[in-house]
Amino acid sequence: MRDVISAPAPGLDFRRHYGHHQSPAIRAGGLIFCSGMLPIDPETGERQHGTLTSEAHCIFRNLKLLLESAGSSLDRLVQVHALIYDSIEYDVLNRVYRHYVANGPPARTVWTAQSEAGFKIQLDVVAAA
Amino acid sequence: MSLDLMSLERAVIAAPPGLDAAAALGQPASTLVRGGAFLFVSGLVAVDPATGQRAPGTTMSETRLILANLKRMLEAAGSSMDKVVKVNVLLASMLEAVPMNDVYATFFPDPPPARTVCGARLPDGCRVMIECTALA
Repeated sequence: MRDVISAPAPGLDFRRHYGHHQSPAIRAGGLIFCSGMLPIDPETGERQHGTLTSEAHCIFRNLKLLLESAGSSLDRLVQVHALIYDSIEYDVLNRVYRHYVANGPPARTVWTAQSEAGFKIQLDVVAAA
Repeated sequence: MSLDLMSLERAVIAAPPGLDAAAALGQPASTLVRGGAFLFVSGLVAVDPATGQRAPGTTMSETRLILANLKRMLEAAGSSMDKVVKVNVLLASMLEAVPMNDVYATFFPDPPPARTVCGARLPDGCRVMIECTALA
């Protein structure tokens, strides 16, 4: 059984705003698989380019909205892939990351990759439903 | 969901002839592995199913070939494109995300699976690599 999790706020419907052929998240087999999370204004859908820190704050706020709308939460994250534009910002990522996964942080892998529109960070996550 | 013995099972699933690229290229990887309720598919690159050889092309042609092959191997394993839960698309250039998306949209049902797209350095001059997780 595969359940589609719809966008928790109008701006987070990437398909509507950017034509991406993807659902915000899918719940299946007790897990929630989220599409790559980007720093997008949850109300307007506008891109929120900034520093890696500001982009990460925006992404985690959006992720919180998405997971909570699906009956999960940031505390239930299982695995995180953090794709950052340059590994020189690794410590910068860690400082902001800690705020959101204070208790028993999820498994995590960080690597460098390009994200759309030149964003500095994208989070690819799986949470327990 | 209850955890019974079946849900903990791990099984390597043989890909159809010509599509087992991981084996054909001598990689220490299985193309499809079932674990519990899920089927995990290795990162696929464009391969001609008639010859089993790499079929380099454009981002659009590689995406089309990869997804056609993925569809066949999921169906052969008893799953299908509408059971896919998550797809990761790696592109040699994020400048080609739009053509990839255009082809991609023709393969997945509505509503589509969750997806992450990123630009990465891919081996052997590949333009596209796609991995996915599906319900078995």
